[in-house]
Amino acid sequence: MVTTKTYIKAGSVEEAIAGAKGSEVPFKYLAGGTDVVVNKFQGTDESICLIDISGIDELRQIRTEGNYLKVGSLITLDELQKHQVILTHFPALAKAAHAAASPVIRKTGTIGGNILCENRCSFFNQSEFWRESVGYCLKCEGDVCIATGGTKACFSKFVSDTAPVLIAADADIEVYDEAGLSRVSLQNIYTGDGINPRCLSKTAVIKSIILPLNRNLSMVFKKLRPREAVDFTSLTSVVAIDKHGKIKIVLGGVDPMPVVVEGMMEDRNALINSAIKKARMVNNDYYSRGYRKEMITVFLQKSFKELI
Amino acid sequence: MNQIKLKINGKSFDLLVGDQEMLSTVIREKAGLTGTKIGCEQGSCGACTVLVDNKPVLSCITPVMRFNGADITTIEGVSHNGKLHPLQEKFVEKGAVQCGFCTSGMTITALDFVNKNPNPSLNEIKDALSGNLCRCTGYKKIIEAVSEYAIEKLLGKQPSNHAKPSKGGTVGVSRPYIEAAKKVQGIADYADDIKLKGSLKVKFVRSIFPHAKIESIDTAEALKLEGVRYIATGVELPVTFGVLPISQDENAIAIKKTRYVGEIVAAVAADSEEIAEAACKIIKVHYTPLREFLTIDDSLADVGEYEKIHPEHGKQNNNVHKKAELRFGDQEQGLKDAEVVSKMSFEMEGINHGFTEPHAASAYWDENGLTVISATQISHYLHRALAKTMEIPLNRVRVIKPYVGGGFGGKGDPFPHEIIVAHLARKTGKPVSVRLTREEVFLTNHGRHPSKMTVQLGADKNGMLKVLDADIAIDGGAYGSFGVVTSYYNGVLLQAPYKLNNFGFRTYRVYTNKPQCGAMRGHGAVNSRFAVESLIDDISHKLKMDPVELRMKNFLDSHTLTVGQYRITSNGSRESVQKVAHQSDWQNKHGKMPFGHGFGVGCGFFISGSALPIIWNELPQSTVHLKVDFDGRVLIASGANDIGQGSDTMLAIIVAEVLGISMDKIFVIAADTLITPVDLGSYSSRVTFMAGNAAKNAAENLKKEIALAVATKFNLSVYDLYFSDNKIFSNDKQVDIDWLAGVEIVTANRGAVTVSGKYISPKLGGDFKGAGAGLSPSYSFGACVAEVKVETETGHVKILNVWGAHDCGKALNPMAVEGQLEGSWHMGIGQAMSEEMNYYNGLLVNNNFLDYKIPTALDTPDFHTNIIETNDPEGPFGAKECGEGALHPVIPAIANAIYDAVGVRITKLPIKSEEVLRLMKQAKQKSEQMV
Repeated sequence: MVTTKTYIKAGSVEEAIAGAKGSEVPFKYLAGGTDVVVNKFQGTDESICLIDISGIDELRQIRTEGNYLKVGSLITLDELQKHQVILTHFPALAKAAHAAASPVIRKTGTIGGNILCENRCSFFNQSEFWRESVGYCLKCEGDVCIATGGTKACFSKFVSDTAPVLIAADADIEVYDEAGLSRVSLQNIYTGDGINPRCLSKTAVIKSIILPLNRNLSMVFKKLRPREAVDFTSLTSVVAIDKHGKIKIVLGGVDPMPVVVEGMMEDRNALINSAIKKARMVNNDYYSRGYRKEMITVFLQKSFKELI
Repeated sequence: MNQIKLKINGKSFDLLVGDQEMLSTVIREKAGLTGTKIGCEQGSCGACTVLVDNKPVLSCITPVMRFNGADITTIEGVSHNGKLHPLQEKFVEKGAVQCGFCTSGMTITALDFVNKNPNPSLNEIKDALSGNLCRCTGYKKIIEAVSEYAIEKLLGKQPSNHAKPSKGGTVGVSRPYIEAAKKVQGIADYADDIKLKGSLKVKFVRSIFPHAKIESIDTAEALKLEGVRYIATGVELPVTFGVLPISQDENAIAIKKTRYVGEIVAAVAADSEEIAEAACKIIKVHYTPLREFLTIDDSLADVGEYEKIHPEHGKQNNNVHKKAELRFGDQEQGLKDAEVVSKMSFEMEGINHGFTEPHAASAYWDENGLTVISATQISHYLHRALAKTMEIPLNRVRVIKPYVGGGFGGKGDPFPHEIIVAHLARKTGKPVSVRLTREEVFLTNHGRHPSKMTVQLGADKNGMLKVLDADIAIDGGAYGSFGVVTSYYNGVLLQAPYKLNNFGFRTYRVYTNKPQCGAMRGHGAVNSRFAVESLIDDISHKLKMDPVELRMKNFLDSHTLTVGQYRITSNGSRESVQKVAHQSDWQNKHGKMPFGHGFGVGCGFFISGSALPIIWNELPQSTVHLKVDFDGRVLIASGANDIGQGSDTMLAIIVAEVLGISMDKIFVIAADTLITPVDLGSYSSRVTFMAGNAAKNAAENLKKEIALAVATKFNLSVYDLYFSDNKIFSNDKQVDIDWLAGVEIVTANRGAVTVSGKYISPKLGGDFKGAGAGLSPSYSFGACVAEVKVETETGHVKILNVWGAHDCGKALNPMAVEGQLEGSWHMGIGQAMSEEMNYYNGLLVNNNFLDYKIPTALDTPDFHTNIIETNDPEGPFGAKECGEGALHPVIPAIANAIYDAVGVRITKLPIKSEEVLRLMKQAKQKSEQMV
């Protein structure tokens, strides 16, 4: 028998959650779908039911509420990079959105999908046939991590381009789930476990990303990748500084979760060291572990220079 | 299944679709609109882009259920009532279309972009197209087309009907490919677009071990699946094949053992791809792994008690496939004569052709025997391989080549999937089709060999080269393919473009347990050329001599012999390097830029068709038939494979030129082995020279026939007649008739006239073993200057400009020649900067277009394109190759520019930022120690 796959097009968040709750088979929400569908082709996503939330208008708004900007989770990366409010208040976010994937993908891919993008690894993002050949890694029900040659931890990389900027800007997210609407810090949804990298409940739907507007942050975004388009990140760095000289560094692409380090401008060298220490990099990327490590320092120092 | 409504190109469809069916499948299979292409199934190539409610969408990764009620525009909906959209006109006019496989997606993306950005900068255009991969054009002509379209749209200009070529001949006039309008509309059929009624689909079970004994294959459960029609295993296809007669070492389906991860172990024919795939998953194969050999060093060594990859091959107890060695002059003396000797070791990773159209083939059997429709570069060798493996006479096989979405050497061999569909069609009595996934394309490979070489070059104090010695090992993967030729080419093609009296080389090709390597654009000589041009740069530096000047001193002259007795005829080396030096302001730039900014130069040389056929026989290398009937149209029948490089157009230009008629009186049928006479196919850059000469010969024969009939009728000498501007006339105007009148005269009381033309290479070469390798009736030459900036903190290299010049003898169609050159440089940049086949224990890690890094429009520098014409004495109208040789100089030009920028010598490809940074640190340390 060929497995019967199902598809639900949700008209509202309630419908989506009800569909998820009622699903007897593994399900996945589909926003843009540009990552999920590819993962399904490769068999790393084993959902049988797809719940398409892309038609829910409620999730597609950008508006200011007091001192906050609320960005609906279905705002596409393309809309984000061109939105006047974003360009005015968060140019680094526009840059990050532009740095993701390719122009056509950015027109479909959403900010919600980008921050929830599944962790990646050279030994995991492969076809079923390939993973069988290599002997299945931890992230797909194998016994050991292949990238590290046998450890019992998964080091798949957190690869969102926009999330590091959002975290640097102290963003929260509004989340619907079975219990209703709640608000959590974006930074706190990442677990650091490569196998289950996020701690949102299975049925959760992000409503919006909430960005404080009164922080007067200056931010610098940088991304390491071999080509100037298409590629996922090998290292993303965001440095934010507020008017008091307080710094927040967020790194992506170097650990199963965003690496966050905070401190004052005058301690920047120590902050760099502490960021490097926190980043659990392994050789599962186009660039070697050593080079990416070295580039953390280079990127951060360049960012500091640009900020001063 | 769900019922949905879609409006596609204005037409309403009520469709039954699967829950998770992709939009691309519905468009292609259910609406029958095959202009939307599937290149990667991953969203990384952009070929599947369509407009949904006026927004571009990647149709191959978006479920159709999302779009119930939507208004969809595919490429077929862009033109209106048969009239091209102005952007399509521009694509045609500017030569932005080569193979045409990326064109649909590229056009849709560009249309949407310009609608929303009416006044874009060139950089914005590059950015907008950065998600659409093109492997043919190097993007230059595409960007020009989009830019001009935007400007004209902004100015409200009516699209100019593309310039009508002037009177007085067709050779040397830029023109679009004859099929360009068809390609831009998405109505040119590629192999997977041809849907045969009731055809079965095929999926493969592939080996998960690099080297293993197949103990058993259990297909019982899979056969029970509804819709499974047949499952084939290796024992059913016992006859081996291979492109070279000396390397018949492969079976279509592995028998007894597997030699690489991905080798086909069983093949399922079923009613649908999904069913075939489900069946593959439940076929149980029991393997006993054998010790695998994954590197050159592994395979050069004695295997001891372990089993060789090909136990029957060779007398030695190792995995060496081929050893070749040739020496000329006295290398020891050369070393003594040299004032400066530079010796370096190099390592190059393997790379893949990356054509955008995945392999696809269909087969059926009827009263005429077997017909195979396949995306192939060489119908003729496939014809032979099918007859051999099916064990049927040659006259029971027909191979048809539809439009092909790029090849670059990667569609040249006969392939297992082509043989398997033929076999399954025979077994099931039904047509059988297959399209490989992108991962399967990578596993099929046949790309450039990973290589390791140590090369030394010596020069006297005046910069005259005295000696060249190369020791080369190449990693062939599991089977032979073109490998014996590759082995030789790595060495022999170093004997030009410089005068070298003391020259020698030794190459080893080894078998390893990885997908096989074969021929790829610039076959065999790209890596060793990179090495030699780097050494020349080093020697120039040591002698404090300008590297352009040193090269100028050493170039071979025209009409001379090389040390290995290659006959050099026309030779535009000097003009090429002078052109790029002048244009790049070399004298004021090289060695004179601030740290981190540099200029480098490289030269190249390549064959223009192999003078010897692969399968020895006395057939001409190319035969072309022409037919003219009462309507005055000339039908060209040629076996040459147009794979997007424009060879059909080239044939038409030549015939039109000889007969003095316009292109609209020509029709080309190519590469159908039943209808077209034998041509050896598209490899070794032979088509313009050989098929072109055969077409010219045929046209001259037809001209003679017509001239004779007309002369007889008007009672004058054939020598008094001229054919030009669709007329046949004599100077005294005693005869002044139009073409059709001439045709009426020649066909009177006779009917259609058919003639034949041929090309046979002259006898060439020396009298020694290996003398045949690299022999060509003519050679091409070229040069590049590259400008780079190196970011000193990261080692990141940005190529800013490439100035290139290539001696193609005579550009029959300058726009097509430019396209070949720009495409070659783009591909060279890929190998130089980012492309590699990255293996982990024999598994290809980067088997897709996301991880295999073909440069995007944003990664591609500005190309400054120069055609050098030297009028080759034997080429058709003086023409020689332009599709491969241009790749050679660009890689060393980049590496030498990096040396100029930051003082480090690159010896590894691809040039990774981290390696550049490491070398820079090493150099800094060294200089600090010296202080």
